[in-house]
Amino acid sequence: MVFFLDITDASRGAALLTLVRDFWPLWATAALGCAGIYGLLPQARTSKPIWAGFGVAAAILLAGLWFVRQDGVWPEQVLFYAFSFLAVVGGILMLAQSNPVHAALSFALVVLNVCGLFLLLAAPFLMAATLIIYAGAIVVTFLFVIMLAQQAGLASADARSREPFLASLAGFVLLGALWCALDKTYNLTPVLRELDLVASAKSLDEVAKLWSEPAAKPGARTLPALDRLKNALPRELEYDVPELEKAWAKQDLPALTKAAARLRDQAAKLKLGALKPRDRDAPVEAPVTAQNVAGLGRTLFTRYLVPVELAGVLLLVATIGAIAIAGRRGEGLR
Amino acid sequence: MSPVNLQSYLIVGAALFVLGMVGFLTRRNLILMFLSAEMMLQGVALNLVAFSRYHGNLGGQVLTLFIVTVAACEAAIALALILMLYRRRKSLDVSLWQELREPELEPIVDEAPLPPAPLPEPMPHLTVAGPEPMHPAEETSHV
Amino acid sequence: MFDGPRSYLWLIPALPLLGAALTAALGPRWLRGQSHWPCVLGSVAACILSVMTLVAVARGFPSAGTDGIRSYYEWFSAGDVTVGISLRADGLTAVMLVTVTFIGSLIAIYSAGYMRGDPGYPRFFAAVSLFLFSMTGLVLANNFILLYAFWEGVGLCSYLLIGFWFAKPSAAAAARKAFLVTRLGDIGLFLGILTLWLLFGSTATGTSRSLAMDVIFDNVALASTRGTLDHEMLTVACLLLFLGAVGKSAQFPLHVWLPDAMEGPSPVSALIHAATMVTAGVYLVARCTPLFGMAPDAQLVVAVIGGLTALLAALIAVTQTDLKRVLAYSTISQLGYMFLALGSGIEQHRLATLAVTAAIFHLVTHAFFKALLFLGAGSVMHAMGDVIDMRRFGGLRKVLPITHATFLCGAAALAGFPVLFSGFWSKDEILAVTWKAAHESEYATIYFVLLVCALGTAGLTAFYTFRAYFMTFWGEVRIPEEAGHHPHDASPVMGVPLMILAAGAVLVGITLGPTGIFGGFLEQHWMKRQFAARLLPEPGGHHLNWLLMSISGAIALGGIGLAYVLYVKTPALTDNLAKAMSGLYGWSRNKFYLDELFEAIFVRPLEGLARLIRILDQYFVDGLVDLIGQIPSFIGYLVRPFQNGLVQSYALLMALFVGGLLLATMLR
Repeated sequence: MVFFLDITDASRGAALLTLVRDFWPLWATAALGCAGIYGLLPQARTSKPIWAGFGVAAAILLAGLWFVRQDGVWPEQVLFYAFSFLAVVGGILMLAQSNPVHAALSFALVVLNVCGLFLLLAAPFLMAATLIIYAGAIVVTFLFVIMLAQQAGLASADARSREPFLASLAGFVLLGALWCALDKTYNLTPVLRELDLVASAKSLDEVAKLWSEPAAKPGARTLPALDRLKNALPRELEYDVPELEKAWAKQDLPALTKAAARLRDQAAKLKLGALKPRDRDAPVEAPVTAQNVAGLGRTLFTRYLVPVELAGVLLLVATIGAIAIAGRRGEGLR
Repeated sequence: MSPVNLQSYLIVGAALFVLGMVGFLTRRNLILMFLSAEMMLQGVALNLVAFSRYHGNLGGQVLTLFIVTVAACEAAIALALILMLYRRRKSLDVSLWQELREPELEPIVDEAPLPPAPLPEPMPHLTVAGPEPMHPAEETSHV
Repeated sequence: MFDGPRSYLWLIPALPLLGAALTAALGPRWLRGQSHWPCVLGSVAACILSVMTLVAVARGFPSAGTDGIRSYYEWFSAGDVTVGISLRADGLTAVMLVTVTFIGSLIAIYSAGYMRGDPGYPRFFAAVSLFLFSMTGLVLANNFILLYAFWEGVGLCSYLLIGFWFAKPSAAAAARKAFLVTRLGDIGLFLGILTLWLLFGSTATGTSRSLAMDVIFDNVALASTRGTLDHEMLTVACLLLFLGAVGKSAQFPLHVWLPDAMEGPSPVSALIHAATMVTAGVYLVARCTPLFGMAPDAQLVVAVIGGLTALLAALIAVTQTDLKRVLAYSTISQLGYMFLALGSGIEQHRLATLAVTAAIFHLVTHAFFKALLFLGAGSVMHAMGDVIDMRRFGGLRKVLPITHATFLCGAAALAGFPVLFSGFWSKDEILAVTWKAAHESEYATIYFVLLVCALGTAGLTAFYTFRAYFMTFWGEVRIPEEAGHHPHDASPVMGVPLMILAAGAVLVGITLGPTGIFGGFLEQHWMKRQFAARLLPEPGGHHLNWLLMSISGAIALGGIGLAYVLYVKTPALTDNLAKAMSGLYGWSRNKFYLDELFEAIFVRPLEGLARLIRILDQYFVDGLVDLIGQIPSFIGYLVRPFQNGLVQSYALLMALFVGGLLLATMLR
């Protein structure tokens, strides 16, 4: 709670500006996307503007270009692109459609493609379960409800949105923040670039210019740039940064370049975020691939037994609750 | 730099979550609000399964299974409540329910008139189905 | 009694305090009509202990090498000053104690009869007991802060008792006036105490400063022998102390509260405004003689103000028609005499002791006969149904014999009737001291003028005293309607104290004065210990000044005779004389317009200022506070539109802030 209170702290504002400046592609993409969504939302006009569609399309394209990398296994790439593109498009369509039936069908499209992504992530049972429950049960139920409740098809309320601009703004802020957080954690490219520059520096002045910040003094114990470096690197490499600090404090260029090069190579080898099928972490109960159902079953009924029982109770309670709430006739209709 | 990795899936999950959130905040149909909430849950499920694959154990998938279960219960209760609300006002519009506002504030009503609905397209005039009618002898000409 | 006054000295103030507490706690519900018992018992017990102290002092307490000071309790210490509750017993204190407690007890007994049936009966005795506690504490205090505390205490009790019938607007106003006017004097007193503390307060060890009187007096004497004494600052300090005395003892220009204070019951007037409280100023100056003796300029001021006040008050008293007012002005005049005496003792010729002795002696005799006169006036009021305007009753010597006899004794003492009555002896000593000062001091002419004023005042005193007496008790019997049909004389509860006081008024003078017992006692047991050697008189005592005694006696008899002629033989002459001297008569009647002057100079501007400040407070300060109080309401007004009842608006706010929260976390 305390850190909220120094909202007038100038360094907080400067940090925000730095964040926007460093990750401007993400913010730009998010802005484009949310502006497009704002245009596409159902509002009281005859047809949707063209620029909104273009904006959304551009956003998706840029996201595809910037966030997902080029090299890699081709089938996986293509499938990932296809499924995620269709999922996002389905989501946008769900927002844009005035007709509730069309919107529900778009939701079914989203579920379909998310299940495709599940399959790519080696979760076949979940794919099937989600498909059956969501696209099969929930969406159909809601379609029935819409059909019975809104037999005219389109009510006047469906053609309007509540607070489109503010909602898009909220979406933009949240999306930008989330993407920035993700990029800071999993994207080491800027850090690697910086370490590369330090490793290939010819003199201490270059390094000083690179790391120069207003408060830095040569020979200072903690350099702000090194602190930033330490925060940006993943946990495993944190302990190698003090070497850099010591070299800088001693103003020793060879040691500095050697330490920076070593750090860069270790970070490059790290393959942050790589999805490995096995032996990444602590021992698992069952491998993740083809024996997914058996493994899932074993895990559910040994390690997560109590939550399973509780989920059963929850289902029972929900059923009884739903009947109790809705079983009552309204006043005057008895 | 690296192929499709954890970050990619998380980005998609984040996009889905935000889209669901915007939908929840915007759409006025109760059913569509609920569906947007379900889309948020989809984004979260995607995140969880991605992490499960990243860590190599099944914890994320189990949690996703529970999420699906809870979503089902939630759907049941939500439908019951929507039913009750529909019975009162005979409409699925959420803007009708403003009684918890401050007493001094005026209720928010729709003001801008909707554009006129497009006229239904005229039905194409098709020939009548059935046997061919009798033609008068002198009108037939097959030349 | 066991090992000297040290063991019981603290009881003398403590017993009346206990009586006050008991009366206040038990009086309203349980004691009611018997509420006088704690007060009377307490004051009688204190009187007995005071007499024992006197006897012990006379027998030589404290023995050589020790001082009569007993410290009981450390009250507070702040910085480098420590104030404790320390009481002293020596000659002056013992004399004052006996006077205060004896007369206090008699008045308490008298009040039991006078105030009977009054709804505030317990409150009266609680306040009287509290007053006795404060007054005895005042004369017993050994350090200045304690003295100041008790000084304020007697001021408070005076306020409580003057405004005893607080529902009467004039009484409430009089109480307020008394308190405020004496407050002016108290400022001077406090400044004087501070000056003394700063200049002369260092203790022997030099590490801390003390406010004990003996320490300060010793330091002054030491500085004087070394030649390092700062005479100007000492004079300033003495004048500031005297300012306090001017306020409390009703000297010009702060005398205006005393005549108004007659709104209180007559026993209150007797106790506080005749015998004891107003003498606190005299006590203070007497106690500080080691200081005043080194500052002859201050003494001159004291004498001049004393003499001026005496004459002024006497001139006003000549034309007053309210019996108690006459007595009030005579009190002011007699206090002026005491200050005149105190101011006439000058260092160079070793007259300090004589002067102080004369002043204290007059204080004691004045206490007796003025209390007697006030109690007698109270008895007259009681009989006449609370009418005190002398023009409305007359010839009461047949109707109220006891009151008449005792009042005559008191009047004769006040007038200075030769030989038989105490006033003569004490007034004569004062005149003698002034005579000596007129001959031997460096300001001889001023003192001579003062002597002439004093003699004139003596004549006026005799005149107006017996004017009042003749108007009240002689002539044809006139009884106002408020008295009912049978005005009764004082009951024994009221009568016996009157008679005891009358005996005192007669005997105290002749037994103690010319025989030198009083002077010798004070000299032996107080002055020899306290005063620097050069202030003490030459060995050989002093002779009675027969010439002056006969002159003053003649003046007194002349005044009495004139009053007899004007008010008994030819009453019509008074009206003619009044018309002939209408200008002077008007001035005297209207108290020289001093009240009106003060009202115009001080009271009106202050009232205007108060009104201005009230407006400031009401509109500006209150407005500011109200404005601050409106701020939460205003914030609520700003925020309220967010609560529009729509679920999606609430969700929107949540979403926006979650995004902000996320950003804030990242920026950390």
